[in-house]
Amino acid sequence: MTSPAVVEVGPSRGPTFAGGRKSRSSRGSLTRQKQRIGFFATLPAFIVVASLLFYPIGYAIWISFLKTDGVTSKFIGFKNYVDIFAAPLVHQVFLTNLKFLVAIPVVIFAGLFTAVLLYQEVWGWRFFRIVFFLPSVLSASVIGLMFRSAFTLNGPINSALISLGLTPINFFARANMAILVVVLALIWAGFGYAMMILLSGLMAIDTDLFAAAEVDGAGWWQRFWYIIIPSIRQQLAFVSIINTLYTFTSLFGFIFVMTAGGPLYSTTTLDYLVYQKAFSAYDMGQGSALAIIIFGVIATLTIAQSKYLRNDDGR
Amino acid sequence: MRKFKWRTNTIVLLALLSVAITTLYPLFYVVMTSSRTLEDYNKNAYGLPKFFTLDSYRILINNYSLDTAARNTIIVVGLSLATSLIFSSLAGFALAKYDFPGSKAINWSFIAVMLLPSQILIIPIYLLLSKFSLVGHLPGLMFVYIGTNIPFGVFFLKATFSAVPDTILDAARIDGAGFFTSFFRIAVPNAAAGITTLAVLQFLGMWNELLYAYLILPDQEMRLLTPALASIGGRYTTNQPLVAAALCITATPTLILLAMSSKYLVRGVPTGTGSS
Repeated sequence: MTSPAVVEVGPSRGPTFAGGRKSRSSRGSLTRQKQRIGFFATLPAFIVVASLLFYPIGYAIWISFLKTDGVTSKFIGFKNYVDIFAAPLVHQVFLTNLKFLVAIPVVIFAGLFTAVLLYQEVWGWRFFRIVFFLPSVLSASVIGLMFRSAFTLNGPINSALISLGLTPINFFARANMAILVVVLALIWAGFGYAMMILLSGLMAIDTDLFAAAEVDGAGWWQRFWYIIIPSIRQQLAFVSIINTLYTFTSLFGFIFVMTAGGPLYSTTTLDYLVYQKAFSAYDMGQGSALAIIIFGVIATLTIAQSKYLRNDDGR
Repeated sequence: MRKFKWRTNTIVLLALLSVAITTLYPLFYVVMTSSRTLEDYNKNAYGLPKFFTLDSYRILINNYSLDTAARNTIIVVGLSLATSLIFSSLAGFALAKYDFPGSKAINWSFIAVMLLPSQILIIPIYLLLSKFSLVGHLPGLMFVYIGTNIPFGVFFLKATFSAVPDTILDAARIDGAGFFTSFFRIAVPNAAAGITTLAVLQFLGMWNELLYAYLILPDQEMRLLTPALASIGGRYTTNQPLVAAALCITATPTLILLAMSSKYLVRGVPTGTGSS
């Protein structure tokens, strides 16, 4: 069960190892020896990461210039990129993906709401903290299937609608309804994590600030706006960035079990489209090109977001 | 002070309770559904079942070879987790306490790949594994899990080991302790809480993972639990008790782990994922 990947990186080990020998024979100093130990202790992790992450990134860039189904391949230059930018389907999917972003403000608001309430250390707050975090340890497939079962045509939500005298809704046959159900699942699944991060920021606030504010006669809202929000700006930034990243890269599990991208392509997200292109249409080249474009988009978004939020901080 | 008066306190408690109900009720509903018969479910989906039955679980376990899936999951998650933890703690300790030329560059390269989305990697890793005919075999998935978990592991444990005081390590070195003695006798015991937190986080990540598990082990008889139960849940939409039982089996280990290790998660989630 030796890793072929490890064998592949073998040669690069040679010179460094020889170098180690030489310094030993010339009685290297204690620091020299420490350096060597540090290097060799890091080596296993580095070899794994180099062969399973660094190398594949380069390979992905190379594949994106090929027309390939994984068996035969032909170099076609930038054609994959040109095709993707020209494809109406990709534009539609990108816009769909933007719709899923509506989950983020709700997640942050719910997370902030619960975090601020828990911060008052009401009776049982530790229990609530675990309860709200509970969905975060569940698999996307569990949450997705739960929501799909709840919203199917003859599922519990529709039977509740019927008993209220309303007509049942076929949620997964209508584009915006299907998106709404996925968004609900995202909110239900995600707010506990946001709460946990924000609560850790709240816990770090110096309580003397509140005492001082009280002496100055500041009310609860004033304390909220002028002490709490500025103090947890970093955590708010982190939560909004991580959720944006998540919306563009990690909806696969939800889409896969809830809608499989349908009806038609109306709930297909960018990351699901990569999967479809590569493993349903067997167009690995276009799949890779799309993945790289997505990476470009989210990298830009992340940098812009962290810049914007940091500038705010300086004000 | 940050404490409210008792009347506000009651309102806060009620608000929290209502949020807790929206979180807990769906789970309660799934557990109830999984333990009733299909006829009972069709008659009355809400309310308590007329009688409790484990039939759906029995059907799942007998008909869908979940024992193989469970065995495969234990092998893959166990070995990947152990390897990832060992490699990450060695590297994390070295990067925290044993500076060497290039150690900063290695550290930054780990942080950079940590942010990489999985869909960039999925195609090249799939092609790479299929080149070595590892697609369809457990070691293939193990390589992926070990590789994708190490960067965050090193990042997390470097921070953990940095907190171990240099004075203890120096004292040990003067007493003649080498790298491994310092590592096993001093660093690891001092960082035990951090390592446990990381183990819990990475276990959850591997247990819940769907994309790689589904693609790299496509054969029905090689499936891990989460994808196996997801595909059962996806196919039998008319038999809700069966779907609910599949969900319960997938979710139970993670919920038990949460209950047992909430202390570590509460501390680890914010420190691990940024806030820095």
